[in-house]
This record gives sequence, C-alpha cells and structure tokens, in this order.
Amino acid sequence: MKSMSLLAALSALFLTSCATSPPSCDGPQSRNLSAAVDHVKGSLASGCAAHFDRFYDDLLRTAEGDPKPGNKRIFSEFLVWSADEGLLSQRQAKNYYNRYFNVKFMTLQGDYNNCSHTCPRRDRIMLDMEKELSDKERGLLKVSLDNDGYYRADELFQEVELVLEATCTACSAGQ
Amino acid sequence: MELIFRRHSTHGLLALAALLIVSESYANTPTIRLFPTTVVEDLRQTSSVAQEMETGLQEVIGRLDQQQQLYLESKCEGAEDDPGCQRLAKQIGATYLDMLGIMEERLPDMEHTVNNTRLSLEKRLRSELGNKMTSWTLQETLLGGNPPKDTSAPTPSLRGRSGMRLSERFSQYYKLVASSSSNNDQSLAVLASDIYLDMEETSLLIARTREEIARATLIEQLNQSFGTITPEMMEVVGGVKSILFGDDTSVAPIAGPPPGSVEQAYRSPLEN
Repeated sequence: MKSMSLLAALSALFLTSCATSPPSCDGPQSRNLSAAVDHVKGSLASGCAAHFDRFYDDLLRTAEGDPKPGNKRIFSEFLVWSADEGLLSQRQAKNYYNRYFNVKFMTLQGDYNNCSHTCPRRDRIMLDMEKELSDKERGLLKVSLDNDGYYRADELFQEVELVLEATCTACSAGQ
Repeated sequence: MELIFRRHSTHGLLALAALLIVSESYANTPTIRLFPTTVVEDLRQTSSVAQEMETGLQEVIGRLDQQQQLYLESKCEGAEDDPGCQRLAKQIGATYLDMLGIMEERLPDMEHTVNNTRLSLEKRLRSELGNKMTSWTLQETLLGGNPPKDTSAPTPSLRGRSGMRLSERFSQYYKLVASSSSNNDQSLAVLASDIYLDMEETSLLIARTREEIARATLIEQLNQSFGTITPEMMEVVGGVKSILFGDDTSVAPIAGPPPGSVEQAYRSPLEN
C-alpha cells in the first residue's frame, strides 16, 4: 500500500514538472520601442531576468531603427521599472542609463584621489572610457539624436585624457 | 519658560546659521587654484625672454637665408672647389656660428624661466587635481555644471607648437591666465594641463639643443677651414626657425558636425 502511494506521488510530481515548461525568453519582435519594452517586461517578469543584458541590447537596436529624443525617457522608465521590480539594484539601473544616455563617464567613478588611484591605472581607465564613449554614441547619437550631448561627451573624453596626462606626470614627478 | 524660549531661539539661530553656511558653500563651490600670481609672473617672464631670443636671432637668420639664396643662385652646389663658392660657404658657416653663439648665450635664461613655470605648474597640478580630486570630481570640474552651448567661444586648447612664435605662444598663455578670474575651473584645468605639457616638451627641447650647440660649434669651427656647408647645418637652421618662428603648416582645427535636435530637455531620475 505504501509503495503504491509513493508511486502515485512520484507520478504526480513527474506530470507537474512536465506541465511547467521553461519560459522561451525570446527577444522582442516588434519594431516599435514601446511595444518591444512591453514584451521585454513580460519576459523579465516570467523568469527571464538572467537575459537582461541581451534584452537591453535588443531594445537599443529597436530604438536605433526609430531614433528620437523621446527614447531616452522610455529607457529611463524601463530601468526605473526594473529597479522597482527588484530585477536590478538602483546602482545597476543608474549604470545602465548613464553609460548610454548621460554625458558623464561612469568609468570615472572612484573614491580615492587621482595621484594614488587613477594614475596607476590610467591606461585601463582610458580604454574603458573609450568603450563607454562608443556606448554613448549608440545611446545619445543613434538612439536619442542628442548630437550636442554626444559631442560634449567626446570633448570631455579628450579633456580628461589631456588633464590626466598632465596630472599624472606631475604626480609621478613628485614621488 | 523664558529659558526654554531662549534655548529654542538659540537653536533656531544656530540652524539658520548652519543653513546659511551650507547654502553659501554650495553657492561658492570649491575653486581650484592653479594659477597663483607666481605662475602668472613666470609665464610673463618666459614670454619676454623668448622675445629677446627671437629678436637676437631674427637678424642672423635673415642673413643666413640671404647667403643661402646667393649660394644657390650662384650654382655653387656641385661646384664646391670654386674659390668664390668656397668664400660664400665660409661666410655662411660664420653666420651659422653667430647663430649658435646667440643661442648658447640666451638659452640658459630661457631654460631657467621655462623650468620655473613648469615646476610651479607641476606642484599646483599635483596638489589641486592630483591629491585633492578623485576622477569623478575631476570630471565634474571639467563639465563645469553646464555644457558649453556656444561652440564659437574661444577654447584654451593650444596644445603643441600651434604654428606660432615661441614668445607669442607664451604671451597668449599669459593673457589667458592673467584673465583667469573670468575663466571657470573647467577651462583652467585644461589650460594648466596644456601649458604644463607644452613646458615639458619645450624644456626637453631646450636641454637637447644646449647639448647639441657645443658639438655643432666644434664641427662648424672645423668646417670653416674647408669652407663646406653640411646638410646638418641646414637642418639645424630649419629646426631653429620652426621652433622660434612657428611652422608654416599649422593644422586648422576640423569642424565638428552641426548640432542636432534641440528637443532634449528630458532629464532622467537615474542621471548622476
């Protein structure tokens, strides 16, 4: 009798696991950004949170097909929603937004002074800034048509390069 | 009761004072002191020393140009054994020695003032941008709160030789720095870095030139007895002219594409 009930329980478990198939986690098919965002929100809410990076990239690609200043807001609202849903931390949401849509470079975050912290890893920082500049080109220029913003970021990149070169030379001369 | 009231009003005053101090400190965001009067004075001095050197050399270099022209017009190239050409070559060599002599006399002053400026700027950059700032605060200083809207406004980007006279370059630096009260921290940080790196290069160049002068003088003194013009001599004269009086081939800045749509007032709550 005992073995019969165990068999029944096991069969029930097997059947249940077959019924809940894994989510498909497909990317958005729509060329409309708002519709694509809705699709991504649905996927994220149904267990596809691990695919966040890919979805974000898909959304950027969709937005590139219809660039306009209003796209910035759509991305901001999507990231705020993601943070509210607990899919991202506030810090992650800010990083995702600012890396693509703000003039400031997130690469330059740091709590220690330039002589001790920035200068020893200046090459790495400049390389990371260059990568971030290309993300800003995508977010500011190709998605939001914010030419002024992108050219200011490009100018800032060059200024940081010059000022860091001088500052780090001065720091090393004082050692 | 009166005590309580007094205590409350004292607390109120303190809070008000604290508020005033805080708002005052926000209004006067910390300014960076990159150009104290000593640096400004050093720059002015460098400009006038460079001008003295240029004035001294201008006449000699003009003479050298004329003699070279005459040498070429007389078809002396390939006819070095001709006595007339030998005489011309010796004259050119003597003028070249004059030029080296003037440079030897003036360069130590130049080196001294350039090094003074470089060292004061180095100290300032290290303390104000290197030790007092993080990469983030440096970025905020460079952004200066507001992105520049007027792209036609003069920018302090003077990096490199810029195709202008040495004295003119330093004079321009001096003018920019002397009017620094009207500049913001953003452009001052770029300007200070620009001048400092330029001074580094100039300083190295002067040191190398001084080393070369002694050798070039000795070689030319030997050449004088044979009356020959070496390609090296022409190269040195060309180099001195380009350093002191600027390049002909100064590169014009490339214009950026036109600014895009102005419809971009949106500010995300996620922005830093």
